[in-house]
Amino acid sequence: MDANEQERHLLEKAKDLLSQAAENLDSQTKQRLERIRLNALSASERAHPGAFLSSRWVMGGAVTAAAMAAVAIFFWLKASPGNFPGKHIEDFEMIASMEEIELYENLDFYRWLATKENGA
Amino acid sequence: MDTRDKLNGFLADIERRAFKMARFATGSTDEALDLVQDAMFGFVRHYTSRPEGQWKPLFYSILRSRITDWYRRNSVRKHVLSWLTRSQDCEDEEDPFQDIPDKATLNPFEDILRHEESMALERAIHMLPLRQQQAFLLRVWEEMDVKQTAFVMGCSEGSVKTHYSRAVHSLRGLLEDIR
Repeated sequence: MDANEQERHLLEKAKDLLSQAAENLDSQTKQRLERIRLNALSASERAHPGAFLSSRWVMGGAVTAAAMAAVAIFFWLKASPGNFPGKHIEDFEMIASMEEIELYENLDFYRWLATKENGA
Repeated sequence: MDTRDKLNGFLADIERRAFKMARFATGSTDEALDLVQDAMFGFVRHYTSRPEGQWKPLFYSILRSRITDWYRRNSVRKHVLSWLTRSQDCEDEEDPFQDIPDKATLNPFEDILRHEESMALERAIHMLPLRQQQAFLLRVWEEMDVKQTAFVMGCSEGSVKTHYSRAVHSLRGLLEDIR
């Protein structure tokens, strides 16, 4: 066994002994370490809300949001023709032409005038 | 596996070794637990968004920083206490060993370790200077390469090699005995 190999062997031995010692910690110390870890995780969740969302949840949320947007657009497009004030072309012209608004406002008068003229 | 599970798994994996490292440095279970707690809180507060591959060196970098701070505070306290003691008792003035901490007495391993070899090794590691301790534990136990160890210890790769080499040299006699 050469010097390097011997040293490697000794260091492996040291590592094993250290790992064994870490595993054989007394139960009270193990419990305290676990409590510290859980407290640290809770603190992290409070400090970074949402940081612990898994990619699965993020993906699910994105799909849900996209589906909701698609449904909203569908209903909006479906509802639009019925609600649009210029449904008929004559209504659209009436709205577009400000000059003729007065004519429509006095429509009863013109009807009356026409019946008078026809009667005369 | 979500981020919380990954983080929990990472911390669970290193917590005992981190504790032992802090215990070697301080010689006190309570102090070591406090240092691990500080390191964990510091880590989860600042570095959980980093890639997982960076977690270990980052965590140990924080722990090393906390241990160094503890060492500085403790050194000042010991220095003041030793000065006060010396001024009260002039007979101790000539004792060259007075300022050397009696680490073996302060650090009883008997209640932690059952195995004689482990006890001897841990005592020997505890007696190493802090930087040698860190270089040895990070290289041998955490299996970090020289570059990662230099990052954690905040020094050059050359310094890591020097500290590690001296630590192995100091421990070699002991390790040969327990082979």
